[in-house]
Amino acid sequence: MALDTNKITAWSGRLQERLRPAWRWLNDRLLPRAADAAARLPGLFAPAPVESGDEIHFLPNFCRGRAVFGIVLIAELLALVITLITRRISENLFQDLLLISLFVQWMALLSAAVLCAARRFLNTLPNHRALGFAYLLLLAIELATSELAVWVLWLSGGVGSPRPEWYAYFHIQNFTVAAILDALALRYFLARHQLRQRTLSEARARVEALRSRIRPHFLFNTMNIIASLIRSAPDKAEAAIEDMADLFRTMLGESENLVPVNNEIAIAKKYLDIEALRLDSRLRVDWDVGKFPRRAVMPVLTLQPLLENAIHHGIEPNPLGGAIQVRLWEDGETLHIAVTNPLPRSRSKSAATARGDRALDNLRLRLTSHYGAAADLKISEDRERFTATVSIPTRGGNP
Amino acid sequence: MRIMIVDDEKLARERLRELLNEIGGHTVIGEATNGHEAVERASELNPDVVLMDIRMPGMDGLEAAMHLMGMDEPPIVIFTTAYDQHALHAFEVNAVDYLLKPIRKDRLAAALDKAKKLTLEQLQDVNAAQESPQARTHISVHLRGNIRLVPVKDILYFMADSKYVTIRTPNEEHLIEDSLINLEKEFGEKMFLRIHRNALVATDYIKGIEKGPAGNWQVALKGSDKKLDVSRRHAAAVRRWARR
Repeated sequence: MALDTNKITAWSGRLQERLRPAWRWLNDRLLPRAADAAARLPGLFAPAPVESGDEIHFLPNFCRGRAVFGIVLIAELLALVITLITRRISENLFQDLLLISLFVQWMALLSAAVLCAARRFLNTLPNHRALGFAYLLLLAIELATSELAVWVLWLSGGVGSPRPEWYAYFHIQNFTVAAILDALALRYFLARHQLRQRTLSEARARVEALRSRIRPHFLFNTMNIIASLIRSAPDKAEAAIEDMADLFRTMLGESENLVPVNNEIAIAKKYLDIEALRLDSRLRVDWDVGKFPRRAVMPVLTLQPLLENAIHHGIEPNPLGGAIQVRLWEDGETLHIAVTNPLPRSRSKSAATARGDRALDNLRLRLTSHYGAAADLKISEDRERFTATVSIPTRGGNP
Repeated sequence: MRIMIVDDEKLARERLRELLNEIGGHTVIGEATNGHEAVERASELNPDVVLMDIRMPGMDGLEAAMHLMGMDEPPIVIFTTAYDQHALHAFEVNAVDYLLKPIRKDRLAAALDKAKKLTLEQLQDVNAAQESPQARTHISVHLRGNIRLVPVKDILYFMADSKYVTIRTPNEEHLIEDSLINLEKEFGEKMFLRIHRNALVATDYIKGIEKGPAGNWQVALKGSDKKLDVSRRHAAAVRRWARR
């Protein structure tokens, strides 16, 4: 059988493109809203409080009054439903409801108590195992409660023997109902838990991305420099504040827009002007901007992180400073941006790469989200120089 | 007080100078742009106080301060920093003075008023609390009250006798008060190899390992004719290293 792998790849690529807007909408709009709504649901399954840091468990805290109240309410509704379905309306209906309520409440409260007691243990297990374990526990409680109910009836004289003729039927019926309802409830808890986890990790990722865009060290050092300039050279201070404002406006912009290449170069130059204040003569930048079409666009803040990385690893650690080379050129339908920095002779490699890789990884992720496989970020390194090269399609991709 | 300013950013140094001018009562006797320069100039100028930036190229402020603690009369060190989460926490814990950039005049004045001397131990604790504790880039050697900085990468070997450790570079030899155990812990296996109870050799300078006249193993060094004995206990480890 001849499978055309190219066709399949192309097809799956197209499918991904089609699905991406929907996926984004789901991720950005729907899920956070759904999570918000879920968090606001009153009463019943009140969201378990975030205990400490990362620890969020999928089972609600059944030791709390609010959750117990929810259970009592649900159990009562369930009892009502069972009564209405199984009994004809007669003057005995209320009595039947009382009896069934008693039984269901008994089971529900016992389940809550056991889950409350087992909570600490369940929380040490991985989610799926905790789920299985809780399920078994609940079924065991159901069996025990049903058995106990029969005994209570016998002891109180309601039935003639501990094994009345409906004994097996009673157990099978209860067990089946409990098995279905418990499974639904636990499934719901797990799904809710996963939703919360995803919302949380998305929020964290956003903060992380923002933090990696703005280096606090850069921010505060620059403020110190501006404070100094206000006395000695107010005009330079003014220019620096203007540059900072433009740079931060771009950095704080939420959308990942495509901007004309010239705009990106302009913002990168403003950034370099600010760094030049700090680094003085230690920073030299050689620009080599080739010809590219006027309509050429790139994701905002593609060049600036490359420069920041180059300064952080190539210029700052070197007492004598050095020169950064920036090259932009077009080759067919592809725009290349290469930034080269010298490597300090003695550097602790682990520290240098750990930090740098994160900044570049971040950029790589953003490029992938814009262009898929059509964009590329390459790193090459020899003893003296480090080069990062970004290649992107000039036509843009999916904005 | 006689003050020295250390910062790699010119405008940051100027700001400190101006603030000190306005506060009055202090003289700036010198400036330095990195840790190495700071140690050398401080041992010439003997300042009362050093205002020391933490992040600097070459030798950082923390290491420079540790070297300064070896002076006969170590200066008071007040650190300045824009943002070093880990260092700041360690400063708090160890009661080390620091100023946050942008530096405020009143904070600077207050820090100078209550300035107190640090100890080497405090600084070592701070260093140990860093995200990745740095090994020193230099070893400070005391020559008649002055401090000489010997780059660690120039050192051929450390040789211990009863009380001191001898540092050997291609051209010179110095005595320091330290222990091989500490040095080995600080610089680790990557840079130095233990070949004897009393000797730690820089791996970069090992030319080869050969049999000596008495049948024992010896390490031949680049840039020195001297051959160092490998003790029987360390022979296996040394040969394992050589095979890599």
